[in-house]
Amino acid sequence: MRKEETVKLISAEGFEFVIHKDAAMVSQTIRNMLTSPGSFAETEHGEVTFPEISTTILEKICKYFYWNLQYASGKQTEFHIEPELVLELMMAANYLHT
Amino acid sequence: MENQLVELCLQAASVSRDSIEKWRRQRRTLERLPSQLADSLLRRLISRRILFPSLLELFKHSVEELDLRGESSVDAEWIAYIGAFRYLRSLNLSDCRRLTTSALWPIAGLERLRELDLSRCSKVTDAGIRHLLTITTLEKLSISETGVSANGVMLLSSLRNLSVLDLGGLPVTDLALSSLQVLTKLQYLDLWGSKITDKGAAFLQMFPKLSFLNLAWTNVTKLPNLSSLECLNMSNCTINTLLEGDNNNKAPLTKLIVSGATFGDEFEAFHYIETTFLTFLDVSNSSLHRFYFLSHINALEHLDLSRSMIGDDSLELIACIGVNLKYLNLSHTRVSSAGVKTLTGHVPNLEFLSVSHTSVDDVAISYMSMMPSVKVIDLSSTNIKGVIHQVGPESDPVLSLSALQNLQHLGRLNLVDTQVTEAALYPLENFQELRELSLKSVSLTDISFNYTSSMPKLTNLRIHDGVLTNSGLNSYKPPSTLRMMDLRGCWLLTEDAILSFCKTHPHIEVRHELVHIYPSKQIVSNSASSSRSTLKASQAKQKQEVPVLPCFLDQRLKYSREELLALQYSSVSRAPPHDRDVVLPNTQSD
Repeated sequence: MRKEETVKLISAEGFEFVIHKDAAMVSQTIRNMLTSPGSFAETEHGEVTFPEISTTILEKICKYFYWNLQYASGKQTEFHIEPELVLELMMAANYLHT
Repeated sequence: MENQLVELCLQAASVSRDSIEKWRRQRRTLERLPSQLADSLLRRLISRRILFPSLLELFKHSVEELDLRGESSVDAEWIAYIGAFRYLRSLNLSDCRRLTTSALWPIAGLERLRELDLSRCSKVTDAGIRHLLTITTLEKLSISETGVSANGVMLLSSLRNLSVLDLGGLPVTDLALSSLQVLTKLQYLDLWGSKITDKGAAFLQMFPKLSFLNLAWTNVTKLPNLSSLECLNMSNCTINTLLEGDNNNKAPLTKLIVSGATFGDEFEAFHYIETTFLTFLDVSNSSLHRFYFLSHINALEHLDLSRSMIGDDSLELIACIGVNLKYLNLSHTRVSSAGVKTLTGHVPNLEFLSVSHTSVDDVAISYMSMMPSVKVIDLSSTNIKGVIHQVGPESDPVLSLSALQNLQHLGRLNLVDTQVTEAALYPLENFQELRELSLKSVSLTDISFNYTSSMPKLTNLRIHDGVLTNSGLNSYKPPSTLRMMDLRGCWLLTEDAILSFCKTHPHIEVRHELVHIYPSKQIVSNSASSSRSTLKASQAKQKQEVPVLPCFLDQRLKYSREELLALQYSSVSRAPPHDRDVVLPNTQSD
């Protein structure tokens, strides 16, 4: 992965997830952050920090991004969500518009 | 695809009681849940029917809207939990038939409640109204068809913020209405079936903002001018004067319903009504016999004249104002093909046209083909034959339905109980936009199936009383879009043949006296959608069909649908009709 094609998502606890930009763009909120005009720190460094989202949930979110890309390209599998994560994940998804 | 992950989470959260147990202990998170997510989650649990009273407690800090309509299990225990919902803004308890007056008491503490619906909670009485009087924030209140009396209605005068008040079916008297005059914010008032008389109607002028008024089935004969009235329903009343008085401040009426109304002898047809804004007019089944007033209503979009005295001579008046017309119902009138001819060229925007139960014949079809926007045509029970025999011995007969091919938007066609023969249906093959087709004739054979195979958009097909055979059904290649096939009265079909058809085409819902199959997919999607839509769907289905045992087939033919529905309730002692709503679809799908 070339650096320009990736983006770094940082969880509340400081864990860093480096994923493809295409995948991160599944989230409307991240898309807006990365593509908005003007020099936001996010746009320049390709880094987004989520102080409200825990590591477990952010990992799940990243998995979802990739699942969504696969799903859109026709590979229709099930995305399993553990009932324990449902509430937190729902809130994060709501925030990220995904 | 918007917010797909949220949707997946909602699904995962409401899979089963076990999954609920996994997340219900996360109280902190639940408290932080944005209200719109909490509302969606709660709605999902309700529609999946896995909500139980103590689970409600989890939502007391987050939910703002709660819709429990039609939930027969809702009782005092539920309300006790709901009473703790601090941020509740809207509460719908309509059709919760177990709800009693005493159960309502906890609602009194809901300080932020603005909307409350208790319609058809028949056990709620005047004492129940007393519980509501502390909620001075209430803006919308529906207590139609409850056990509230005129005295209970008078109590409502202390709810000064009310803008919407539905008192339908309650014995509201003139005195009770006069005590409500202090509710000056009232915009919507429903008084159908009340005991209001002309004396009470005079009080209505005291509501300066009133824009919606329903006085159907009352004894009001004279309605004074109401300066802000936009929507009026006076169906099934005897009307002598309508909105008379004050020429400068006329009601800006947009919608008027006077179906089934009897007009007094001296009634000057709509003389006093300001018609500039009128877009919706329903005079069906009324005693009106002069229609000159129509020629002034230039903005009209929806006109229902079914079962009225209108004849061909008055259709010219409609032609004058046809530019904006979208809906025209002329069923059960004296209108003939000559009348339809008068309309051609004058109704460029007409989308719905019904001439069912009139004497129109095939000539009318060619006139209809010149109405460019038509989407729905109802020709049921007319003299349509599908064939026009040309004058002169040598010429071939013309298939009249082929004229309709020109209509690019035609989506629904009803030919039930016409004399159309199978050969005359041949042009249907070329109807590219048709979604719904209804046929009913004893002469229909397997060939009628073939015509429908090539329709690219057909979703609903109704063939009643035809002599369709098992082999015809087996070899039928339905269009891929077909979702519903109604074959009731096709008595040659056997249960086995229909079941095997359903097996080959699992996405098609088939209706017949012997079987009723819902497509398996639909059941899943139904239960996942909101409770509102499932309830509506089940009601709609029930309306359409009366469960009939095959051995009673001949009996069925004797009665109309309304009569059967009445019989249905009389046979089951006093079970509340709503409970039957819930039970019926199950018994049918068996």
